[in-house]
This record gives sequence, structure tokens and C-alpha cells, in this order.
Amino acid sequence: MNGNFEERLLSALKEEITTRRAEENMTVRTPVRHVPNRRFLGLSAAVAGVAAATTGTLILFGGAGTPAYAVDRGADGSVEVRINEFRDPGELQAELADAGVRAVVDYLPDGQTCRPSRGEPAGAGGQMRVGVGEDGKGIAFKIEKEQIGADRTLVLAITVDRAGADRPPVATSLQVVKGTVAPCEATSLPLPADSSADSSTGEGPAHHTESGGEDDGPTLNTGVG
Amino acid sequence: MRLSEDPVAFEAFYRRHVDAVMRFVVRRVSDPHLAADLTADTFLAALDSANTYRPGRGSEIGWLYGVARNVVSAHHRRVAREVRANGRVAGRRMMDDNDLVRMEERIDAERQTRRALEAMAGLPEGERAVLELVAIDQLTVTEAAAALGIGKVTARVRLHRARRALENVASPSAVYVKGEA
Repeated sequence: MNGNFEERLLSALKEEITTRRAEENMTVRTPVRHVPNRRFLGLSAAVAGVAAATTGTLILFGGAGTPAYAVDRGADGSVEVRINEFRDPGELQAELADAGVRAVVDYLPDGQTCRPSRGEPAGAGGQMRVGVGEDGKGIAFKIEKEQIGADRTLVLAITVDRAGADRPPVATSLQVVKGTVAPCEATSLPLPADSSADSSTGEGPAHHTESGGEDDGPTLNTGVG
Repeated sequence: MRLSEDPVAFEAFYRRHVDAVMRFVVRRVSDPHLAADLTADTFLAALDSANTYRPGRGSEIGWLYGVARNVVSAHHRRVAREVRANGRVAGRRMMDDNDLVRMEERIDAERQTRRALEAMAGLPEGERAVLELVAIDQLTVTEAAAALGIGKVTARVRLHRARRALENVASPSAVYVKGEA
């Protein structure tokens, strides 16, 4: 470790100030926290076809929380995932594996997310909708049958609200990686406005996220960066 | 106060007071890891309640000691632990071996003071609080009053009573030496 306790504490506290300010900004721009009760609210994120999915890091802000998670296998081979409480990522991972979805799940403390590049970005077939879960709790998404190919991994990094694991996540990053997935290397959570900078490095189309100013919840724009 | 919004202003504030806060803490706890946690918690609490600081009502350090006092008492009530469990700034995680040694030295240096505080344990809470801040933490009566959110006259009365009560305690000398130095 660099410096001494006092210096490290100072850095951590300054970071805390920055994070809190960022969160205040996010809160302002994510009215979803106050408007639950609609499934898949206005938030429809796009792992749409190869083009959108290739860079694959979607950062979603918002949600509202209660306990546990659920992995449901539909008759059509789809897998529906709802996470209401962000703890025991290993269990969720195992549950997803049972349902035929290879996944790497990390829950990070407030203010942190994983460094963006976790492996070779992979396209996912079809569209994946990610949104606020039923009753506005946590997050929910549906993976269609064979949407994430055999050698691909769903990589999920969720920034847990410091107020508790059952609180709405501060941020959710979702990507599909082909082949080996690098372990999560924690880094400061970028502001929504900065998130495009990480992904627009010429590797393909970038997802730019923006929480919506609409009253009915955040929206997520995916564009070509 | 811009403290909670401006990292630069906060840094200046922190550097002015970090030493005093650590001293305040090690007068009250003798576990170095806990001392690190409580130091971090005090500054976090200061960020949380920066808007309660009124420059006219007393010194910064008086206000900050008031915050530190709440943090330490909250710890004793076991509230802090839960708060910290969810927190992202945990003091003990920032300690390396060197810091541990330095913290232990601080703790040793305040051994006598902790004993003096123990001698005050029998006093009524309100009186003890004033005496602690004045005799142990070297605040003026005005600063102590601001830290505790009580009037200056009340503080003076309580201090007087506390000192008189302590005259009956076996060996209060340590308190007096500190308080009147």
C-alpha cells in the first residue's frame, strides 16, 4: 500500500465525496426509484443482434430492491433472471449454470465497477431486454434460448448501493464475452456521461447509456460510438 | 459548509484535524483496528452532517469532536458496526503493519488519559461529557458547549459540578493535570 493510513483514508474520503456527488446526479436522473410497479419499465437495453452486442457493456442505473434472486426456465428454452438482492453472486452463477447459462457475476461496493474489458466481446443472437424487475424491485432480464452461445459467458457486474444489498443497484454492467473471462478488476464507477468513453475505443459500436429525464423511468440509448 | 461537496476544501479540513481526531479516538478505545475504523467513521459522519456546522457557534474542532463523540458512543451502542458493514470506507482495511505500529504508539501514549476517563465514568452523563471535552480533549468551555449542542452557561455549570464531584474520587489528579495544563 502507498503512503500511510492517514493518506489512504484521505484518498478514500475524497473518492467518497466524488461518488456521493455522482450518485446525487444519478438519483436526479433516475426517477425509476420513485416509480416502481411496472415490469421492464421504460428501460429496454439492447443486446440486439451482433452489432449491438459486440461491445456489450451496458450500464444501467436504477431499480428498486427486495430479497433474493430467481432464475426461471421458460417452456420455450428461455431463461428469465430476476435479482432482487445483491448478495451471493456465486449462488446465482451456479443457478444460471444449471439453467444452461454460463455466467460470471460480481457484486461490487458502491462507487466501483469492473474494468470494462473482461474478454473478447461476443455477439448474442436476438434481443435481450434488461429492466427493472417485477414490482420495481432489483433488475430483471430474459435470455432467449441459445442467445448466449456455447463458448460465451454472460458477464454481470453490479454496483451495490452502500445502503444495502437489497437496495436498488447503483449501476449494472452486462456484457457477453467469448472465450475466457478476465477476473473483475475493480475500478471507480464512471459517471453516466463518461461511460461512452470507455467503450468507444474503436472496437466497434459503443453503448452510451443515459438515464432518462422522462417521468416514467430511465431510458437506455445504444448508439454507435 | 462546502466540505461535503468540495474535495479540495475537505482535504484542507482533514489535514487540519486528522491528528486530533485520531488522538480523540485512541483516548477512548485501545484496539488499533477499531481506532482506524472510528477515525474513518468520524470523517464520514462529518461529511454526512457537514450542514450542521455553524461557523459562528464554535470552532471546527469543537464541532468535529462533537461528531467524533457521537461516533464513539454509537460504537459503544453497537450501532456503528452495522453502519460500517454497509460502508465502503472501512478504516481498518487501510492499515498496513507500519500504521498498526504507529496506532499502537498513539494508544500507548494515551494510556493515562484513558485511565482518567475511567475515573470519570461514575459521573452523570451530561456532566461527564463536558468534563471529557474540556479536561481530556482540551476544548474551551465554549467549544465543548457547541460540540454538545448546549448553552455556554449550562456547560460551565456542568463542568463545575463534575469537577466538584471528582474531588471525592480517589485519585483524580490525572484529570486535573490534563485539564489545567
